[in-house]
Amino acid sequence: MLVEHAIQITSLVKMFKKRGDEVIAVNGVNLKIDQGELFGLLGPNGAGKTTLIKCISTLLIPDNGTATVGGYDVLKKPLDVRRQIGVLTGGERSLYWKLTPVENLNYFAALYGVSRKKTKNRIAYLLELMDLTEKRNERVEKLSSGMKQKLSIARTLIHDPPILLIDEPTLGLDPTFSRFIRNFIKDELHRERKKTILLTTHYMDEADMLCDRVAFMNRGAIDAVDTPRALKQRLSTEQVVEVKCMGTLEPDLFAQVKEVATLSLENKDGLAYIRMSSDNPEQLLPAILDLVQNKAKVLSVHVAAPTLEDVFVHLTGVQLKDDQVEECG
Amino acid sequence: MRVIFEEIIKDIRILLAYPIEIAFWIISPLLWAVPLVFQGKALVGSLQSTPFGSLAGTSEYIPYVLIGAIFSTYMFTAVWSMGNALRNEMFYGTLEHILCSPVRPLYILIGKGLYNSMFSTMFVIVQLTICVLFFGLDLTVTKILPMVFFLALLMIGLYGVGFIAAALTLLIKEAHGILHMFEYILFLFTPIRYPVEVHPITRAVSALIPLTYALIALRGILLGIKFDFLKTSLLLLGIDIVIIPLGLYIFGWVEKRTKQRGTLAHY
Repeated sequence: MLVEHAIQITSLVKMFKKRGDEVIAVNGVNLKIDQGELFGLLGPNGAGKTTLIKCISTLLIPDNGTATVGGYDVLKKPLDVRRQIGVLTGGERSLYWKLTPVENLNYFAALYGVSRKKTKNRIAYLLELMDLTEKRNERVEKLSSGMKQKLSIARTLIHDPPILLIDEPTLGLDPTFSRFIRNFIKDELHRERKKTILLTTHYMDEADMLCDRVAFMNRGAIDAVDTPRALKQRLSTEQVVEVKCMGTLEPDLFAQVKEVATLSLENKDGLAYIRMSSDNPEQLLPAILDLVQNKAKVLSVHVAAPTLEDVFVHLTGVQLKDDQVEECG
Repeated sequence: MRVIFEEIIKDIRILLAYPIEIAFWIISPLLWAVPLVFQGKALVGSLQSTPFGSLAGTSEYIPYVLIGAIFSTYMFTAVWSMGNALRNEMFYGTLEHILCSPVRPLYILIGKGLYNSMFSTMFVIVQLTICVLFFGLDLTVTKILPMVFFLALLMIGLYGVGFIAAALTLLIKEAHGILHMFEYILFLFTPIRYPVEVHPITRAVSALIPLTYALIALRGILLGIKFDFLKTSLLLLGIDIVIIPLGLYIFGWVEKRTKQRGTLAHY
């Protein structure tokens, strides 16, 4: 089926009941993702990214609105939608650990109706592509985390779907495997295979490096959609100042600071990282250092170009972190 | 069909990774029956009992209990294995990936049901062989065909029970307590350990459970106890006709509800 948009989401709403209260996980989202586009959905944990992916992949039934995938409506034609998509999630537990890579891939090929002959060729090709041929007959439980994620990618691609839904693909992986996964998504899947990819991540660098366009998602809603470059241009400043301190700082400390476009704070391992952008950082910096000096010891001051995270903080007032959402002044 | 076949192969491979599990399923019905045999002997002084004979149609207590224990394997593997099938997939982390594929979960469950039937049959053959060799059970070739007939009718009904058990675990996740309760109800209201004629309530409730008729027929065939072949067959068939659509309906309803509530992959 030839369609203009590979994925089209229209006024999609998903609510959950939590301890008697209704929580809106996805709040009237509208999105159009073109054929062959690598689109990033960015937001902190709990922003609604995974819920949105689950609605698109027919694992959840939306309360309102709808979505089409490859031209098929997720509510009316769920089986057709599932034939169009491959779903990859982060984390290790999405394979049968007591089976070998070949047995795992063979099983999932059957689920997608891939013929036996094609399955054999496809498994050989994917294992070669993932550098897992030598491990083909070893139980998955004996593979490293990175190898398991590579095998998960092979499983996602077993039926050669035109649309890929990739949810936090590098979560918990070491830098080497993370780099491999990112390069594979960018070079092999996007450039070579021309797949349409919807990628969710809370790693801004990952999105910046990979995506044609990104959407900022926060509290179930889309706050902005554009190319990473255009989004970064939304910040009026061209420079961001990073201050690294020894000690722990409270976000309230900076509540009275004016004339700042974005200000984010991260406390990690006894160190505090302040990141701010402003039209006039030279004037702002002394004020920040004054506030900090009685609370912590300044270790370094660094000037850098703004990142997507700075834009995200600027637009949403929410800071992205690995394990929580933190509001800043 | 290929999905069902691959589901069976996958489950066999996973089972073979746990050899102690296989040993457990083979010997547990026999281990379970032996204390009952000793209990019976202690109570009445021998393995023959006139009151038991007047209710059960045979005074041979050992074969009666052993047959109940062996063939109830089908019921319990259906409840536990099919009930926990999707739950196991949740623990493997594969449930969502299965449900993202263009296969109706029903086919996965049928595959798991056939796998259970196959293994239950294998275990039953081993158990019956032990009974023939060590407990003097009389099993001739002419008895095998009618046995297979009633077992087939029983298994069809058990798929319906399995669909309901699978729906139950999908809905409430930690269903061990309820499945245990289900198991105890079966022990209480079906003639696994004793004739249900022992009490009017057990007799009334047992009439609704397919295992009751299967055990009546199987004991009738193996021990020569009189039973109505046609009536028992029709009753089992009638239960099958009701329980399969009921199981499918309940499973479909629960699947939709979990997708609405977002609890599909919750532990």
